Parts: sequence; C-alpha cells; structure tokens
Amino acid sequence: MMRDPDLLTFTLLALLTACRHDRAEDLGPAGPSVTPYELGRPYYFPELQIPADDPLTVEGIALGRRLYYDPILSTGGPLAGLSCSSCHNQSLSFSVPNNGPSVLPHVNLAWSRNFLWNGKVQGDLEDIMCFEVEEFFQVDLNVLRNHPVYPDRFRDAFGEVEITGTLVEKALAQWFRRLVSSNSRFDSYLRHEIEFTTSEFNGMMVFMTETGDCFHCHGIPLMTDNAFHNIGLDSAFTPADQGRYLVTGDPADLGAFKAPTLRNVALTAPYMHDGRFQTLEEVVEHYDSGVNPSPSLDPIMTKPGQQIHLGLNPMQKADLLAFLHTLTDDSFITDTALASPF
Amino acid sequence: MDLLRDTLRHFDTMTMNLRRFPPLLIVGLSILSGACQKDEDDPPAPTPTSVAVALKVEHHMDGVPLIFDTILYTTAAEHAYSVSRLEYYLSEIILFGAGSTPNDTLRGPYYVNGSGTTSFTVGELPAAEYSGAALLLGLPQELNVTGGLPNTMENVNMAWPDPMGGGYHFIKFEGHFLDGATATGFAMHVGNNTYLPHAALGQSFTLDGRSGTLAIRFNLNELFRTPHTYDLSTGNYSMGDMMLMGQLRDNAFDAFTIEYRP
Repeated sequence: MMRDPDLLTFTLLALLTACRHDRAEDLGPAGPSVTPYELGRPYYFPELQIPADDPLTVEGIALGRRLYYDPILSTGGPLAGLSCSSCHNQSLSFSVPNNGPSVLPHVNLAWSRNFLWNGKVQGDLEDIMCFEVEEFFQVDLNVLRNHPVYPDRFRDAFGEVEITGTLVEKALAQWFRRLVSSNSRFDSYLRHEIEFTTSEFNGMMVFMTETGDCFHCHGIPLMTDNAFHNIGLDSAFTPADQGRYLVTGDPADLGAFKAPTLRNVALTAPYMHDGRFQTLEEVVEHYDSGVNPSPSLDPIMTKPGQQIHLGLNPMQKADLLAFLHTLTDDSFITDTALASPF
Repeated sequence: MDLLRDTLRHFDTMTMNLRRFPPLLIVGLSILSGACQKDEDDPPAPTPTSVAVALKVEHHMDGVPLIFDTILYTTAAEHAYSVSRLEYYLSEIILFGAGSTPNDTLRGPYYVNGSGTTSFTVGELPAAEYSGAALLLGLPQELNVTGGLPNTMENVNMAWPDPMGGGYHFIKFEGHFLDGATATGFAMHVGNNTYLPHAALGQSFTLDGRSGTLAIRFNLNELFRTPHTYDLSTGNYSMGDMMLMGQLRDNAFDAFTIEYRP
C-alpha cells in the first residue's frame, strides 16, 4: 500500500538504480538450440506473467538450475563456497532448516511480486535475482567467463553474448519459475481425484471459514496473498521484528511480514520470520491464543467481538493440522528434474 | 433526508426504466427508424459523435481525499477510524441519458485497489447529456461464482471461500478505529449475492465531444450512515454476519457520486 510516498519512492529508486539493468541490453541473437519451455500449471492457478525479455527456454532453465546448485556463484564473495542449494534443501521444499531467523522457501515464487520477509525487493523474479547476484552472492563474473563450461551454456541459452550479471539473473529467474509445487494431496482434492479424510475435510473447513480465518492471508491456490501482515507475534518491536516498516517507514507496517506460502508447510520449519516456532502445533497455538495486540496488528486478526484469539477446541486444532499436512507435495520434493545436475 | 429521498426517487425511476429497457429500446429504435427514413432532399445526417473516456475512481471522506493508515476520519457513530486496505469491484455501471433511460453500460468488472489501481480504459462513449448513473459495488450474479473471473492474482485474493458460498469478496474495507483510547482493527468484508450493494449516482453530466475522465467518487463515510448507523464497536468484523453485511449493502446505496471532467 502507498504509505509515506517519499520514502517509498526513494527506496524504490535506490533499488532500481542499484539493481536493475535494462534487461534487453545484454541480449544477443538467440542460440540455435533454444527451445521454448511451456510451464505447466493447474487451471486454478493464476495466470503467469513472464517478462517478454526473459521467456522460458529449456536451455535457460538448465543453466539456471546449474547455477543454483553450483558454489561458483559465491566465489570470492562473502558467502564463498556456498550455492543456493547449500541452504535451500529440495527435500524440504527448498526451505532452510536452520535455528534462528528463517528463510522463505523457493516455491511458486513465479507468482510473487514481493520478495524477502519485508518486501525489500519488489517486481519480477529477475529483480530479486539481481539482488541475489549483486548484493547477496556478489558474483564474480570473470569466474564464469573463464570457466570451461559456462560460456557455452550461456551461449546456448542467450546467444553469442558476453556473460553479464543480467544474464545470470535471467537464467536464475527462469529456474525459479520452474519451481512449481502444484501436486499436493490438496491439489488432488481440488481436482476431484481423491476424497479427504473426515479430519482433513474438517480442517479445511476450519481453514476456509471464519472459524480459523486462515484463508484471507493464505488463500487458494497459492496459499499466500503475497502481502504483508502483522499477525501479533509481538507487542513491541526490536529492529529485527519491525518487518515491512524498515522498508516503508510507515508505523502501520510495524511488525508486518510477508505471508509465506503454506504449500509444503509441514516441511518448512522453523516458522515465522525469526524461526521462533519449531512445529506447526506451536503455530496453531499462536493463532489460537497467543496473538499480541499492538496498534499495527493487522485488522484481519481482529475477530467478531474484537477478539484476537480463535479459541479452537482440541479437535479443531487436530483437524487443522491434518489439513495443513495435505499441502505437502511429495512429487515436488522428489522430482529429479529439480535436483542437482551435478 | 430530502437529498436521500430525492436520490431514492431518482433511482426508482432509473430502476423502473432499466427494467423496461428492452421495450423502450425497441420503441426508441422504431421511432428513430421512422424518423430517419432517407429522403433525397434531407441534408446529410450528422455523424454520430462519441468521445474517448477514461474511468477514474476516487476515494474521499466527505470531500476530503483519503489518506491511508492514519486515524483521521469519524463514523456516524462517532468512532475515529483509519483505512489500511480498500479493495473492491465495480461493475454494471449504467449511464442514464435524458429521461433516465439507459444510454450505455460499462460492464466491467473493474477491480479497484484504493492504494493501487484506480484508473481504467473505457473507450468511446456516446456524446450526450446524462442524467445520472447506477452501479454495482461488487459483481453481477453470473460472475459471482468460484472461477467466474479470470485467475489473476487480484481475483484469487478476492475469492470468497466455497464453504462460505463461493464467488468473490465484493469489497474488503479494513482499518483501525478508536474504541475509547484503544485502537482496534475492523474488517468490513461483503460478499454473497444477497448482500450485493446497488448504488445510485444522481448527478447529471454532459459528454460534449471533448475526451476526458469519468470520475466516480466513493465517499467511505457513507458506509457508516443512512439508513443504518453502523457501530464499529459491535460490528468490527462483517464477513459471514448477515446483519452487518446487510447494513453495509444498504448504506452503500448513496456512497458514490459521478462527474465528467473534459
């Protein structure tokens, strides 16, 4: 939302200046072997907006996949020796199983316009990849240019061009678009292929009605609205807990963080921006009885009668957990096409 | 109250004429057809004129432009409040010509985000005098079904869950209000065909051949008054509450005004 326009404008301008190329400038003639890639998505998924200057190709995705799994990205930078996949584990839906602050999983980001917990980067996947390449990994392009394999791979994907940061970003963005999870038990239910158990069905009812009121921020089918919400984790905010406020400067954004997707949520512990909850049970307890009031508490957290707690009974909690487990996509976490190419 | 009664009367007229539209259209076309028989001696018929129009939606509080996230406004029940989210659909915007007959309809639906999308391309409209308009704050029944709209990001986020009837939210209007000294959240969500708000816009305007902007102004304060004084302290969360959604539906009737700016 447009809050504190001057600060927002300044922030956006700074980001654009620092990390946005004219993405067309580095394009050379397409390589002779470029093959368009048609990204599959269920009919109930939103339309996918792919930048015209970075169409999906088999070669581009293959290059992005290789870069994702190759520590070469970090050579010489502050994260030397690490690749994306060093932390983001496919078997855990490309989330990071650490203690402490949590990292958003790499799943269905093709539909995201807000990136990172506080939305520091907004735009296309190419924009967040710009951040990753230039600020996070601080990629040394000469290492790629002098590599025995990468120049040919870039040529295959983008034509006769010099390897640039923009092309690295494009290849990675294509790979991230490929990371689509849409084959969970819940998807099978939506496609009328299976029936839910009674507990799963009842949990879905809790989720999708005012009983649990999960759907406003975690709606079907992406299980996130890609927006920012203060869900009452705290009443006072240390800098690490200020969230969206650090980007907008708007007090109304204090404690607001991006709603993560709940797809594969059973695999993506720890939970919340700071990883304070280790289990889904703890998460449900938070919404049920642990919400803290504050002036910036998201209005949607206030229930009829001005209550801020759900007051679920033990059966409803168990059912809700059963439903959350239906969001696990086993095919996504075992798909060899998404695994390391090395 | 006089203004309200006048507005209601005007809307009644427009509504009646809308119901009569097909026969009116036939009669009108017959008359026109008879009147415009080509006569060798007649001068060339004037070229029908139309005008390029953009649609813009504006949000005001009794004439003051809306500013998000600051408690600046006051409901009819004397609660100071702010707005943090405002998303809704406008559809079936009927423009009434002279005599309150429907002259054109902007079907939409137009998804409006108060802090984002508020301008739309309309195209050409007949250059004429208009006596007012009517619109739906939401979606017509045929679109208000799950999957009734394209699966854009905006539309999927406006979905009204199937277990609660399916379709879409007509409006999400959220913010904070002061209940005593405490800031408390409110979420006024309306959906379900029974609670679809109809609004009448009684202002006349003229599309005189100059391109311009058709400006629809949404006065959010009206959602809290007439005919119901909406009390946030007892109605801070409307979704699924039939009485509250009914009050919001009724109050929205006179929440919009319209003008043309060449």
